[in-house]
Formats: sequence, C-alpha cells, structure tokens
Amino acid sequence: MVRRLSYIEVKEVSKQYRQRGQVTEALHDISLTIDKGKFISLIGPSGCGKSSLLRIIGGLVKQECGEVHIGGVTPLEAQKKKQFSFVPQSPALFPWRTVLQNMRLPFQVNRKADTETAKQHEHELIELLSSVGLGDFIHAYPNALSGGMQQRIGIARAFGSGAPILLMDEPFSALDELTREKIGYQLLNIWQEHQKTVVFVTHNIREAVLLSDEVVIMSPRPGRIKKVVDIQLPRPRNAELEESERFQQYISEIRALLRQEWQV
Amino acid sequence: MANDEQETRGYQPPKVKLSKRLKRFYVKSSFWPPLAAFVGVFILWELAVTLFHINSITLPAPSDVLVEWLNSFSFYLKHAWVTFYEAVLGFLLGLSVAFIMGTIMAHSTVLERTLLPIAVLANVTPIMAVAPLFIIWFGFGTLPKVLIAAIITFFPMLINSIMGFRSIDENHYVYMRSLHASKLEIFLKLRLPNSLPYLFSAAKTCVSLSVMGAVVGEWSGSTQGLGNVIMMASNYTQTTRMFAAIFMLAIMGVSLTNFIRYVERKVLYWHVSANDWK
Repeated sequence: MVRRLSYIEVKEVSKQYRQRGQVTEALHDISLTIDKGKFISLIGPSGCGKSSLLRIIGGLVKQECGEVHIGGVTPLEAQKKKQFSFVPQSPALFPWRTVLQNMRLPFQVNRKADTETAKQHEHELIELLSSVGLGDFIHAYPNALSGGMQQRIGIARAFGSGAPILLMDEPFSALDELTREKIGYQLLNIWQEHQKTVVFVTHNIREAVLLSDEVVIMSPRPGRIKKVVDIQLPRPRNAELEESERFQQYISEIRALLRQEWQV
Repeated sequence: MANDEQETRGYQPPKVKLSKRLKRFYVKSSFWPPLAAFVGVFILWELAVTLFHINSITLPAPSDVLVEWLNSFSFYLKHAWVTFYEAVLGFLLGLSVAFIMGTIMAHSTVLERTLLPIAVLANVTPIMAVAPLFIIWFGFGTLPKVLIAAIITFFPMLINSIMGFRSIDENHYVYMRSLHASKLEIFLKLRLPNSLPYLFSAAKTCVSLSVMGAVVGEWSGSTQGLGNVIMMASNYTQTTRMFAAIFMLAIMGVSLTNFIRYVERKVLYWHVSANDWK
C-alpha cells in the first residue's frame, strides 16, 4: 500500500555549518510531513535550527543529507515556480517603493513562473491591505510607517503574492506584546480566508498554540524534533479561545516539553 | 452664547516678540545667513585693504575685483564656460566608468581583487604629477583636461558604487532569492536603487574635484579656461584678474554641487537623509 505523499515532506535532513574549521550540526535527522493548507509552527530555543529548517524547505539553503519534497519536486524547483513567499523577521519592504508598489513586487520578479498577469491582482492587493487595516496607506512610503504596520504589509504581501506556501521566520519578534497579539489575530483572519500552507517559526508558545494546527517542538545542539503536538482546537479561532482550559493545557504541555531542555 | 462671542473677541494669540520672530526666521533660512557671512567678509576685506594700505598686487580690494569682473564679463564668461564643460564632461566620464566597473566588481570577487589595485593606484598618484604627461600625450586641447577631471572623479565614485551595490539589507536579499529572482533582477530592483544615496554622496564632492582637475590640467598647458586665465594673470602679477577668475571658479563649484543636491532631493525622497532637508 503506497502512502500518499504529503505536500511538504522532509526526510532525514541534516545540516552542518562550517566556521573556522569548526563544524556545528544545526539539524540532525529531521523528518517532518506537512499537509496542504495546514498552519504549522516550529518552536524551540535559539540554536535549535528552526530558521535553518525553514530555509531548507524554501530552497534558500541546501541540506547536507536527506531529502525534501515540495509537492513532489525539490525545494529549488518549487522556488523557481514561485511556490514560496517569505516573511522575514524585519519587514523586507523596499524603502523607495510605496506600499502598493511593494505589494506588486512579487509579480515583477521571476515572471517566467507567473501563470496570470499582475493586473488581475491589483484590486485584490488593495483589499488585502484593507483587511489588515492599512487601506489608507497604499501610497505611503515604508519609512512613514511603524514597525507593526510594515510587518502587516509584509504579511499582506505574502498572502497576495499568489504563492501557496508561506514561510515566516519569527515575523513578530521585533514587535511589542500588544501589537503582536493584534497582528496575530489579523493573521488568523487572513489565513482563514486564503488557506495557504504556512510554516511559522516562533518562540512564543501562546502564539504557536493560537495560530497552528500542529506545533513542532525542536530541541537544540544538535537540532532535533522533540515532539509534534496536534492542536485540536476548533477553527475559526478567536480571542475567547485563549481563556479556555484546553488552550491553557496545550500551553502547559508545550512549556513543559521545552523546559526539559534546560532543566537538569 | 453672548459669553462665547465675548470670549472669541477677547482672545488674542500670545504676541511673540519681534526680535524673537526675526531670529527664528533667520536661523531657519538657508539664504540669509550665508549671504550675511559673505557680505561681512567682503566688508572686512575692503576695510582692511583701505585701512592698512595693502598693495593691490598683494591683495586687491573686493571692489576692484568686482569692477574688473564686470568690465570684462564676457571674457570671464567665455573662459568659465571652457572650464565648465571640461569639468562636467570629465565628471560624467569618470562617473560612467566607475559605475560600470563598480557593477562588474560587485558581482565578481575575482575581478574586484584584480582591478582594485589599479583603481587605488589611480587614486594615490598625485594628479598634478600626471597632468603634464597628459598634455604631451593629448595636446593642448580639451581632452587632457577632461581625462584629468575623470580620473579625479573615478576612484571615490567607484568605491561608493561598490559599497552601494553590496550594502543591501540581508532580509531584502533573502526575500528576492525566495522568489527565485535572477541576478539581473536583484541588481536592477535592489542593488541599484540601494546604491543611489552612496552615489549622490560621492557625486557631491567629485563634482567640485572635477573643477579642480580641469584647472590643474589647464595649468599644465592650455589656451583657454579659467585656469589659463589665472596662469596668465600670475605671469603679469595681475592679482585682481586672478581673484576674478577664482571667484568664478568658486561660483562654479557651488552651483554644480547645489545642482547635484537638487537632483538628489528629487530622487532620494524616500531616504532617511530626506528628513534633514527643509
């Protein structure tokens, strides 16, 4: 019986970094499967390789051993077909472009991979900006906006780019707690509507439980997958859910697992 | 309601003292302070020459310089034009070559390590030593002056080009790669706009250096140009004429630099430095 291939398959992947003769093993024997349309979080202390894993999936970094398949092809092939949209920790908005021009950027790059023209997406892009509350800023320049606003645009751009897989590398780390919560809910709403596959790196447990279908807990030195916790909370998720006992139980469970790493 | 009317009628905004308002206006202006400074210097100069009976061969009075300048205005204008286009052509040439080389060197470490020593050599060689050689090679015409101005412009523009192309934000670069952007796309859409502040910064100094280069070229051998005027005037110790030419050169340098600043303001509206402009 042949098991149906998952959308994203990571098989026994290892990654080493060489610096000045010293070899650090960032990832060791990582195996993971991600289904289409799921929201997965990678959580763990610094040095557990979650960013490296994200970049390997996105074809930005090559692994030493193991295989990664994105819908049956290698990450690099998928990247060529613009299957990914990357949201880094600090908003990668070009300061010489307006907000709307930044939103159009994915459609102006690597046009070979485009199946439809950019024109068709124009009003969708504006709608997306409105849904994150920035509809009035389409002609503003990034340096006039706060970090939270810029990051919201980064997210809107990712969802508007047409790519089916979103890779987010601690996108809310640079924001304060209040903004973080607010944007988290906006992300939930956007994802609920567009249903992309999201791989979300974070070190915030509450965020991981609130947003994801599965939380992949990683441990460092070398980076391994400790456990994958299935979050069986109903969708769509909202603020009230955070008060529920089930929610708190998930948080405790994950926190306990993470604590095992540094408690002797 | 009657009360409101009375209140609005009786309300006067606090009257700021006239002296304070004038001071604020003066400090915020970009025209009056420099004008005041130069007028002050000229007045002091004029007084010094008169009071200390300074010889006009040593230091002419500004009034004499002004008279000389206005009398032979078309003469100075003609020579100014020659120096001007030598400097500008040289600047544009140096800028173009530096930009092209910078593009190549930013993308190839091999070429960078190989070509950079040549560029450094061009920078450290005193231009005054090379100028006579250029006259021998290229004659008394415009070409050697243009080349000298180009060489002076070249090195700072090259260094700033490379820095501008390389100093891209890591996140921007990774984002472009995640879209599988080609090297050309990354260059045109990311590196190039990113380098503009660096290029303008270098251009502002290079443009006045070009003027200096053109003048130095003229000193080594020429029949025209403000450098030539200075050289001839010094042969006949006509200090007044020298000053008139020097003033024109100063005006030329300032005008060119301000022109670059004007273009910069238009192009770099998005840059952090734009917050400092009035």
